[in-house]
Amino acid sequence: MIKKFVVFLCLAMFAYAGDATVEIVKKIDVLPKIAVQDASPKNVDVSSRQSFYKLIAGDLRVSSHFNVLDEYLQSSYEGGPLENFLSDKKVDMILRFSLTHDMNAATANVKLINAKTGATTFEKVYSITDKSRNPFLAHKIVIDINDQIGAPTVKWMEQSVIFSRYTDAKKSEIVISDYTLSYTKTIVTGGLNIFPKWANTEQSAFYYTSFGGSEPTIYLYDLKDGRRRSIISSAGMLVCSDVSKDGKKLLLTMAPKDQPDIYLYETQTRKITKITDYSGIDVNGNFIDDDKRIAFVSDRLGSPDIFAQGIYDKSFEKLVYHGKNKNSISTYDNYIVYSSREADSEFGRNTFNLYLISTKTDYLRQLTATGENLYPRFAKDPDTIMFIKQFGNQSALGIIRLNANKTYQFPLKTGKLQSIDW
Amino acid sequence: MGKLALTSLAVAVLVLTGCSQKSPEVDMTKGTSDTKGATNDGMSALQKLIASLEANSKTIYFDFDKYNVRKDQQSNIDANAALFNSAEAKSFSIKVEGNCDEFGTDEYNYALGLKRAKSVKDGLVAKGMVADRITVVSYGESNPASTEHNKEAWAKNRRAEFKVLP
Repeated sequence: MIKKFVVFLCLAMFAYAGDATVEIVKKIDVLPKIAVQDASPKNVDVSSRQSFYKLIAGDLRVSSHFNVLDEYLQSSYEGGPLENFLSDKKVDMILRFSLTHDMNAATANVKLINAKTGATTFEKVYSITDKSRNPFLAHKIVIDINDQIGAPTVKWMEQSVIFSRYTDAKKSEIVISDYTLSYTKTIVTGGLNIFPKWANTEQSAFYYTSFGGSEPTIYLYDLKDGRRRSIISSAGMLVCSDVSKDGKKLLLTMAPKDQPDIYLYETQTRKITKITDYSGIDVNGNFIDDDKRIAFVSDRLGSPDIFAQGIYDKSFEKLVYHGKNKNSISTYDNYIVYSSREADSEFGRNTFNLYLISTKTDYLRQLTATGENLYPRFAKDPDTIMFIKQFGNQSALGIIRLNANKTYQFPLKTGKLQSIDW
Repeated sequence: MGKLALTSLAVAVLVLTGCSQKSPEVDMTKGTSDTKGATNDGMSALQKLIASLEANSKTIYFDFDKYNVRKDQQSNIDANAALFNSAEAKSFSIKVEGNCDEFGTDEYNYALGLKRAKSVKDGLVAKGMVADRITVVSYGESNPASTEHNKEAWAKNRRAEFKVLP
C-alpha cells in the first residue's frame, strides 16, 4: 500500500513538472477568437501556403493576445457571406491572406475582417524582395494585426536573432535567424566562432569572438557590405558581453594576464578601462542605470553570484540573495533576468532555472521549473525573454511571454546552441 | 462598399534591415593551412617531436565546478614540468587549454576553463618552468574529450591539455 502511494506521489509530481512559468502575474480575461484563412491563388504551391499559414497562426499564438482557431481554412480573397462570418466557428475576427510569388519576391495581401459584421476593418499589402525571408513577412503582418486590436505591441517579433551553434569539437558557426528559427542564414563558418552580439539597434552589424588566430579576437562584422574588421585580441578568453544603447561602449570580458576581468572599451577612441579587479572569475558585464554601472557575474563570495558596481567606482554590492549559483544574466533598465543552477550534482543532469528580479525592489519571479534553461536575453521590450533550452546535444530557442505567463520553444534542427542575442 | 470606406489600404514594401544584401559569408579557416617542411610520410622531424611531446604530456583533471589542482593531479603537473623542461622540449612554448563539462553555455564556463588552465600554468611555474613560455586559453564546453552524457564523460571533459608550439 505504501509502495503504491509513493509511486502515485512520484507520478503526480512529474505530471505537474511542466515547463511553464511558475507565477501567474496577470490574468487576461477573454481573448478574441481569430481564424486564419488562406486566399492565395491556386498556382502558389500548397506547401508554401500552408507554411505561411502556420507562421501566422504561430505568431498569433505567441503574441498571447488571441485565441487562435486551430484549423487551416481556405477562401476567396473577396470572400462571400459564409467566408466572412464563419458562423459555425464562432470566431470574432478573420485574418485572410493571399500569398503570391514573383521570381524571388513574395507579396501578401492581408485583410482583417470583423466576423460579427463581415466588414473589413484593416487591409494592407506586404512585400519582400527575398522570399526565403517569408517568416519576417508573417511576423510583420501579425505585429500590425496585434496593433489593430489595441494589444501591447509585439514588435519584438521582427527582431533578428543572432546565435552561435556548435557543429563539432572546437567548431561553431554564426547564424542569423528569425525568433522561430524558420528563417536561418549562416554568416560565419570555419573554426570556433562564439558569443555574437548585435553592435547596434538597427542590427546592421555584430561583434563576435573568433579563435582562428593565435589569440581569441573580437571582430566587427558589417552586414551591409559583408566586411569584418578586427577590434581587439586577448590571451585566454575574450567576449563582447554588452553594447551600450548608443553603440559607443562595449563591456568586454578578457584576460590579458590570464585573469578574466571586465573592461570598458570605447569604440570611437579605442580606450580601454579595467572595471573589475579580482583574482577569481568576473564575467558577463551588463550595463545598468543608464550605462553608469554594471551588473556582472563573479565568484568573489565563493560561488557564482550577481553583483553591481560603478564603472569608475570599485565598491561593489551583491544584487541577488536568492539561490547560490547564478551563472548568466541579462539586464533591461532596472530588471535583471538570470540563470541559476539549482543543484551541485556532479553525477546527474543539472537543473538551471531562470529568475527575474528588480534592482529597485525585492521583486523576484521564477520563470522556469525544469530542465536546463540558460543564457536569458531580454527583447527590446521587457515583457519578452529569449533563452537557450538544452537537451543533451540538442537545443531550442525558448521565448517567455511574461505578462501572459507562457513559454514557447523552437528546436534547432542541427548543432547545439552556444549563445544568442537579439 | 460603404463600410469599405473605413478600410485603410496601404502598400508597405518591407525594407527588412539586417541580413542578406550580399550573401556576406566568411570562412574563418581559409588560408590557414601549413604544410611547410613536410616529409614523405607527411610529418617533419619537428612535427614528430611535437606530436611525441604532446602525446607524453599528462592531462590534468578537475572536480565539478572547481579550478584548483587536485592533490591526485599534482604528480601529473610534476611530470609535465619535467617533460617540458627536458632538453628536447626546452625551446618550445606550451599552450595550456582549459576545458569544461557540458553544463553551462555561458561566459562563466569559458572563464572556468581559463582558470583551470591558469592553475596548471601556476603549477608548472612552481616546478621551475619559465612563465613566459606558457600561454593559456579556454575552450569552455566546446572541446569535449567524450560526447557521452554520463558522469564518466563529464569527469573526462573537466580537464586541461597541452599543445606544444614551435
